[in-house]
This record gives sequence, structure tokens and C-alpha cells, in this order.
Amino acid sequence: MSGAPAVARATASTAEPGPIDAAVALTPTLRASVRRRRIWFGFAALLVLGAVVLFVVQGAVSGGGPRLGADNPAPTGARALIEVLGDHGVTVTDARSYDAALEGARGGATVVIYDEYGLLGDDRLARLAVVANRLVVVEPGFGALEAIAPGVRHAGAATGALDDVDCAVPTAQRAASLSDGQRLLAVDDEALDAGWVGCFRDGEFGHAVVFGDAEGGSEIAVVAATTPFENGRIAEHGNAALAIGLAGASHDLVWYLPGPGDADADAAPTLADLTPGWVSPVLVLAIMVVIAAGVWQGRRFGPLVAENLPVHIPAGETSEGRARLYARNTARTHALDQLRIGAIQRIASALRLPRTAHVDDVASAAAAATRREPAAVRRILADDAPTGDRDLVRLAAELTTLEDQVRATLAPATSHPEAGDDTAGRRP
Amino acid sequence: MAPTGRFALVLALGVVPVVVAGLAGAPEAWLALVGWLLIVIVAASVDLALAASPRRVALTRELPDRVRLGEPVTSVLTVHNLGPRTLRATMRDAWEPSAGVIGPNRTARSIPPGERRRIVLDLLPQRRGDRRTTQVTIRSAGPLRLWSRQATLASPGRVRVLPPFHSRAHLPSRLTRLRELDGRTPLLIRGQGTEFDSIREYVRGDDVRSVDWRATARHADPEVPGGMRLMVRTWRPERDRRIVIVADTSRTAAARIADEPRLDTAYEASLLLAALATHAGDKVDFLATDRRLRGRVHGATGPELLARMVDTMAGIDAELVEADWAIVPGQVRRVTSRHALVVLITAADSPGSARGLLSVLPQLTSRHTVVVASVADPALIDASRSRGDLDEVYRAAAAERGLNDAERVGAAIRRLGALTVTAAPHELPPALADRYLELKASGKL
Repeated sequence: MSGAPAVARATASTAEPGPIDAAVALTPTLRASVRRRRIWFGFAALLVLGAVVLFVVQGAVSGGGPRLGADNPAPTGARALIEVLGDHGVTVTDARSYDAALEGARGGATVVIYDEYGLLGDDRLARLAVVANRLVVVEPGFGALEAIAPGVRHAGAATGALDDVDCAVPTAQRAASLSDGQRLLAVDDEALDAGWVGCFRDGEFGHAVVFGDAEGGSEIAVVAATTPFENGRIAEHGNAALAIGLAGASHDLVWYLPGPGDADADAAPTLADLTPGWVSPVLVLAIMVVIAAGVWQGRRFGPLVAENLPVHIPAGETSEGRARLYARNTARTHALDQLRIGAIQRIASALRLPRTAHVDDVASAAAAATRREPAAVRRILADDAPTGDRDLVRLAAELTTLEDQVRATLAPATSHPEAGDDTAGRRP
Repeated sequence: MAPTGRFALVLALGVVPVVVAGLAGAPEAWLALVGWLLIVIVAASVDLALAASPRRVALTRELPDRVRLGEPVTSVLTVHNLGPRTLRATMRDAWEPSAGVIGPNRTARSIPPGERRRIVLDLLPQRRGDRRTTQVTIRSAGPLRLWSRQATLASPGRVRVLPPFHSRAHLPSRLTRLRELDGRTPLLIRGQGTEFDSIREYVRGDDVRSVDWRATARHADPEVPGGMRLMVRTWRPERDRRIVIVADTSRTAAARIADEPRLDTAYEASLLLAALATHAGDKVDFLATDRRLRGRVHGATGPELLARMVDTMAGIDAELVEADWAIVPGQVRRVTSRHALVVLITAADSPGSARGLLSVLPQLTSRHTVVVASVADPALIDASRSRGDLDEVYRAAAAERGLNDAERVGAAIRRLGALTVTAAPHELPPALADRYLELKASGKL
């Protein structure tokens, strides 16, 4: 027994020389990171909860529903009208499909149709007009108007409340006036000949309601706006009288708001019908693969490493900046002066003149060395003022030429042609 | 946690069952998709659960302490798996970019439990100074290699990258010249430091003024009866002089000239001068200063001097502050109270930035021999000579102005009794060494 721990220790020491401690992890564990960010998780939960509560509360308050929905109590709904009609013994059927509406129409009911999104096909509407005894079309689209009331056109919005009945239709007579917010329809001569009558005229512009007969002998009323039926506006002027007169003309009423299912079945097949069944799942799979590949490639391999870069400034910047300043201010004389000072100093030291030598001395010495006209040399070195850019370039070139010539005359004589340049630090 | 490429691939393979099922109909295709996703998710979860923990790992490093810039470094990281499972790891050693890891910095190793593996990285540091790594990131994959666990572990490492000392190429020729100084007669002035060495026979070329007539009188020429042999005294260069090199690390040292920062040129020049001077038997001190003392090497000789100098230099970079020259005389006084050669390596090229230097120079020149070494920009000289079109003329004018400024500052420095050395970056170290040899030959130290 006493030997066992020793053996164990011995093997441990041979296998693992030195102490082995796991390296300190800098990445927090999942649990730690959740704990550290719990306040944010709390905030997120609170936000979600708030959103849910808000949604529920808002839904409870507004109720919502489609425009002119039979059970929509909102200002744009039509529940008020439906309730009133129901109280007066009218059986109201809330039809949401074409077949239901058609069935009701066959039973002799008045059909009120409001196709907000133009879902119902024109020929279906025409068929409904033929089948129904009385059809009230509220705010028809262009195509619907063509189909049921050829010759009647949209004519914009009414200018205000309408009290010119302008027709002998009893329903309209009873209403006597309509509130503001109506739309207008224009009835052309052909339509007038075909028996269409406009009521509630708005001056020259048109009528708010048009009455007429369909081919099958059924009565059709076209109301250009939803205003007379809306909960919010029905009590104004004669809106209620018109609405009740139109919708409550018979014992049965079919309140028909076409839904998405009523879209024309004869239309071209959709994309979904043409593609094989696996295309959509494969698309979904492709999206998932893209996300997975993105995470695979995007997951960072540990934190970024910061590098402390030393500051290194190109030394030529100062000189470049100064050159641009000269150029911008067209400081030709000043620029040329700089060149001349440099040239004079170099020529002076090449000709072994003292550093303090006067320009005249340097000019004459240079002229003597190059066998040039002293006045010309002096002009190059001091007198000529540049009058333009071309002049500046020319003078700079002449300076260079002069300097080179001075050096060339000395070249055979001196072993160091660039004696004037900075040879400081070299052994003589 | 991180998915692998294999996970994405396996997910993508779901196309096959979905399409096959889709031939029967759309609902079957959706069912196949959901089924495939379930399979993949279950497989990934199992894989993740079976992956070894990337945290139960011990890390040890083997790194050389110092390396010269431009030389390769081998970094060895030993990873010891302390966990009970095989670690299928991909590892990244987070070296700084300027540490210059050669090749990809991702190493894959499979380490059985209790065993250890070495990870060898070749580095070629790109900058001098301390190149560091602080962490190692380990990504541990499961047996199916669908998902991996990832953790970053602390594992600090450091390599001190020393200045390259390229200018040591100039050292042999200067040492030769230094040896030539031995036994030569000083030309004109025998300074205080010049020491009498020996007396030998005159040979052609010796300065006649160093003929020792008393010694000549004692040496009769055996070949010519009654004739004398001319004897001359020889001198050997002074020894045990003190040299204080002051490198300016202020904002002007950050300027890059001919693709080398002024500071690096200053280091090269300091190293060459120090190597030469320590061979010549002089004592060298090094100071790096801007507004405060950044580095100091004092009292080292021989090989130790260079080692300590490069070590001090390695960590010092130029700072964007104006140099405070007022502290320099005090620092020099602290090094030595005797006469010394003080070498100031700075940028003496514009009157504005040299004002501080000029104001303290008299304090230094009154006691010491002062050399101000500065880098000249060869680009300026080139620019001042090309005058082809208008832009170039303006540029030449600006360059001339810059040269002129530098010339004026140099003249001012010389008027204050200091010597100047100005040369292009690659020529400054030998130029400074030559100036030192000159001073030594003339016994002015």
C-alpha cells in the first residue's frame, strides 16, 4: 500500500514534468456570457412582452375588419346599416364568396357588392347582375363599370354636399340630399338612351348615384362612393335614407364583399402551378445552406489583434507643400530667388569665393570662368524678373546651365567636381 | 461554437432526398425537407456534445528572447490536452501582424487525451521593438466534424526585435583605419589626449616636425661613418575618452527619409560609432531623449555595450512631441563631468525646429566637443536639380529653400562651436564614424 502512491507519483512526474495548469480562458463560457448579458435579455423579454400587450390591446379596441364589412364597427365599416336593416326584418346574409352571393341572388335577394380590391372578374360581375333582381354596386372599378353599366364613366369627386336630386327615382327622392365626400359618375347619351338615370347631380360634373337596368331586366344601382354606407357618415344628410332605400328594398339582402378566393379562376396558371413540387423546399434549403455557410465563414477565429503602429511621416511632405504654396500664389520671383540663392552659393564655393561674397563678385567670377558677358551672367543670377510661367522655367534652366558650365570649366582642375556639395563628414 | 464547412455541405446534400420526394408531390418534398433538417440538427447536436472542451488545455511557449530585425524566429507552442477526450483542434496563435507569421496562422492537430503536440510557426518580424502575442484560439471539432467549440486562451509571448545594425558592414574598414592611426604621427596639433608611444627611424612621408633630434643624436649610423639616423617620435591615439551619443526621439525623428525613419538612421549611426569607439578603447554612453529621458546605456563596454544598446533601442519609437533640449546638458553632466565627445543625432534642417537645439549648444560646446549629426534628404537634392517644367521648377525652388534652411542651421551650429555631419540616411553612419576617426587622429577628443 505504501508503495502505490510513490509509484503513481513517479509515473506522474515522468509523464508530466513540471506543473500543468490549464491555460486561462479569455472567452466566457456560455453560462457566464448569458449571466453577464442578463440585463439585455431582460430588456428584450420586456420589449417582446410590451409588443404583445400592445398588439392585444390595440386589437381589442379597434376591432378592425374590412371596409364596409358587415360586422365592422369602425368608422369605415357598415355594421350600423346592417343592424338597422336587421331590426327592420331584413334577412342579411354576409356573403364572402361568389357562390354564396350567386345563391342569394337566385333566391331573389338584393345584392350589395363592394369590391374594394377589384378581385371579381368582369364577366362574373355581369353574370351576378343578370341573376340578381336588384344589384347595388358600391364604388365600382373601371372594368366593373364597363361590364355592368356601359356608357357610365367615372367623373371624379363631388365638390360638396349634394341636394339636387335631379331624377324621379323614389329612393333618391326620399333621400333628398347626400353628404359631402361623394364621387361622381357621368352618364353619356348612349347610356341615357339605354335607360340609365343619374341622381344627385353635382353641377355639370356628374351624378353620385346612377340607376338602370341590366340585360336580364334586373335593377342596378351604382353608388360611386362608399360614403353613404359607412358607419361614420351614414347619419349625415340623406345618406341613411339612400342606403336603407337601396339595401332594404327587398326582404333578403346579400352583403357581398368579394374575397381572394373569388379571383378569376380562368386566369393564367400561377408560377406555383407550373413548377414541380420540390422547387420551394429546395429554395428554403438553399437559403438555410447559405446561412450556414455564412456563419461558417463569418465566425471569427478569436478576437482581433491590435497593432501599435509607430508614426512615420514622409519627410518630403514639407517641401511638396511649400512647392504647392508657391505655385498657388504664383510666387515666381520668390521661387526664382530660392533657386538663385542656392546657385550663387554653389558657384561661389566652386570658385573658392568666400561664403559672404557679394552677388556682383560671384557674377563676375562666373563670367570670367565661363567666358560669358558679365552683364548677362548678372542678369541670370540677380536682375531678370520673371514675367510669366514660361519666363520662370527659362530662367531656371539658364541658372542650371550656368552652374553646369562653371563646374565644367573647373572639372579638369579639381579632383572633386562637387567640392561645393555636402561632403561634410568624409575624409578630405 | 461554430459550424464547419462540412455542416453546410451536409445540409446542402438534403437537395437529393427533397428532389426525390418532390417527384411524388409538394407535401412529400416539404416532409423530406423537415426530416432532413431534423437529421442534420440531431447529428450536429450530438457532434457538439462529443467535442472535447477547448478550455482544458495547457499551453507552454518556447521563444528566443531576442532576435535581430530581418532574422527569422521559430515560435514553438506546446499544447497539452488535459481533458478526457481527443482534441481535434484547429489553433490560431494571435501574433501581431508585424510579427510576420510566415504561411497560414491556422494549425490543425489531433491530440489524444493527456498528450501534447508542438505547433511550430515561422516568424519574420517586420518591425523592431517587442512583438507580442497574447492569446491562442482553439476550435475543437466533434468526431463528425460538423460543429466545433471555440475558446480563446491566454498565452502571452514576446520576442524582442533588435535594430538590424546594417551599418556594421562599414565596421571592418573603419577598424582598419583605426589601426592605421596607431603609430602615425599627428599632423599638426598634438592634443592633450595624444600619448607618446615610441621612437623609430624616419621613413619617407613622416612629418619632419616630429623628428626627435636628441634621439637622432644618440643613434649613429653604422653604414655611413659619422652619419646619423633620423629618429622620429611616434604617437598613438588617445584612449579612454568618453563619448556620449544623444539620439533625438522627438517628432522630427519620425520623419521617413529614403524609406527609413530618421530614428532608425540615428540608431544605425549610434551603433556603428559605439562599435568603433569601444574598439578604440573609448567609453561610450547612449541617451535617447525627447521631452524626457527615453533610454540610457551607461558604463558598458565591449560586446556588452552593443547588446545593451540594441536592447534599449528596440523598445523606443519616435513620439509626436517637440524635443526639450534643455534637459540634455543635465543628462550629459550626469554621465560625465570631464571633457567628452557629445554626438547629437537629430534633425537640424529648419530654423524653427532647431531653435531649441541652438539655445543649449553653447552650454555643451563650452565643456565638450560636440558633433551634430543629421540626415539630409537625398530627395531634396534630386528635386532641386530637376527643373523641366513649371511644377518641377516650383518644387526645385521649395527644395532649394529646404537645403538653404539646413545650410543656415548648419552654419549656426558651427558658429556655436559644434561640428556638423550631414549625409543621406545610408551614408550617415559611415560619415559619423569617419568624423570620429578624424577627431581621434587629430587628438581633439
